[in-house]
Amino acid sequence: MSLPEERDVVIVGGGPAGLAAARRLAAAGLSVTVVDEQPELGGQYFRRPAPEVARVWGDHRPEGRRLIDAVRAAGVECRTGHLVWGVDDDGRTLLVSDPAERPVRLRGRYLIVATGAYERPFPFPGWQLPGVTTPGFAQHLAAADHTPVGERVVLAGSGPFLLPVACSLLALGVTVAGIAEAGRPYRPSLRALGAVRHPARLRELAGYAARLARARVPIWQDTVVVRADGRDRVTSVTLAAASAPARPVRTVAVDALCVGYGFRPQADLARMLGCAVRTDPATGDATPVLTPSGRSSRADVYVIGEAAGIGGAPTAAVRGLSAALDILGREGHRPRAGELRGLAADGRRLERFKSLTDALYPTPADLARLLRPTLPDTATLCRCEAITAGEVRRTAGTAAGDVNATKAWTRAGMGPCQGRECGFAVSAVARTSSDVFPSRLPVRPVAVATLLEMAGEGGPA
Amino acid sequence: MSAEAPVTAASRARTVTIEVNGRPVSVVEGVSLAAALVGDRTWTFRRNPVSEEPRGPFCGMGVCLECEVMVDGRPGVRACLTPVRPGMSVRTAGAGEGS
Repeated sequence: MSLPEERDVVIVGGGPAGLAAARRLAAAGLSVTVVDEQPELGGQYFRRPAPEVARVWGDHRPEGRRLIDAVRAAGVECRTGHLVWGVDDDGRTLLVSDPAERPVRLRGRYLIVATGAYERPFPFPGWQLPGVTTPGFAQHLAAADHTPVGERVVLAGSGPFLLPVACSLLALGVTVAGIAEAGRPYRPSLRALGAVRHPARLRELAGYAARLARARVPIWQDTVVVRADGRDRVTSVTLAAASAPARPVRTVAVDALCVGYGFRPQADLARMLGCAVRTDPATGDATPVLTPSGRSSRADVYVIGEAAGIGGAPTAAVRGLSAALDILGREGHRPRAGELRGLAADGRRLERFKSLTDALYPTPADLARLLRPTLPDTATLCRCEAITAGEVRRTAGTAAGDVNATKAWTRAGMGPCQGRECGFAVSAVARTSSDVFPSRLPVRPVAVATLLEMAGEGGPA
Repeated sequence: MSAEAPVTAASRARTVTIEVNGRPVSVVEGVSLAAALVGDRTWTFRRNPVSEEPRGPFCGMGVCLECEVMVDGRPGVRACLTPVRPGMSVRTAGAGEGS
């Protein structure tokens, strides 16, 4: 194998965070490589449409195209289709495979982990059926490939992301039979959304809500999926009140069902690099320990974007720039006038917005408590290894709720996806006390909760 | 998203032909293989090695590995991360479905 290629900075992940960092660092003259597994830069948020899709149907996020162009113009080496799969013994050299699966070794004086997030599923009987997907898959199919996930679709789970996905499906002419939201974020009382002063992104959310109301898409709050049925593809979904999962309230015919409970940071690479990781008290997710500028417990490794904790694309960009400025400071560069101050102000504003939206929806700890009793013993919990919830429960009982022992004994979470799809559920099922997912009280300030108007809103009747 | 009617626009999109389980399928140039198969109503991409149950794409971002198919004789190709190429030959575990 050839000698590792050494750069000033290697960034893993070409989404909003990685691209923001790359552009700033390269503009200051540092040699920068961005590595990304996807065939094109942009990450999940800016997921690039196929060129032919963009030509005929347009680009869902043209700002992503502009950012990628700016990154390339700044001289950043972009290695797409490259999978970072390991770290060499020196703890610094990334082991990478290129699009032809040839090994490549990359080394940076600084490493930036910008590996993003993945969705948080929770199992139910039938979740392994073809046609049951994450909302993110439906969104990518719609935005990047102009392909509807189905003709008649139910979206379920929790969080604001369900709304734009529903709108993307409507734009393709899909019948969105309904949205099942596990929490109660939407209040029907307030009108005149446009007149209320609120952050742009709440306005964006309100825009989606208005679009759904016009299309008369029902939003069933306090509602969870209790089963999906079908032979080789899902044909129906059964819903129940989150508080009474044993009493189904409706069964809906569908040819696709998209379920997701928000996002989890993808911090595996940070862990592999030896960065200290803690359990986030609010989410229960493994999250790297970082300085405000994203520096990890290893001084040469930064973690930015969603991998540093879920915050959304604008927050990811701020984190990317903060890390870039920290590195530039260490390299003896001076920031531009007002740059640091502006960035700090942006960060504070976004943090306020995040706490507002977080307060609307159940926390991951709430979800774990809420969803645990909805999962019957017969349901497949680990979809890779085809292990049932009952097996995990019995073993967890023997293992006194130790999640790692439960994994090792049942093999739940040890298949190809490495527990990314079932990990949250294994923890929720195996751990019986609430101390492992310490929760904060879900604060629901009325002023915010009432911002979103939902015509046609109703609980499970 | 353009407001143009999908059918009108689709007639302007360039297509390529791929082969799915021996059958020619016309798909929009450059889309992901997962989209091409879903658009062709093929949902069983593989079978779970333990339970033999049919499985289809789930996460759409390369994490779940449920969309692995065989492409040009190479197994374990994640359809969600693979753009279609003219003439590519694809085998799914649900051979026969969708035709």
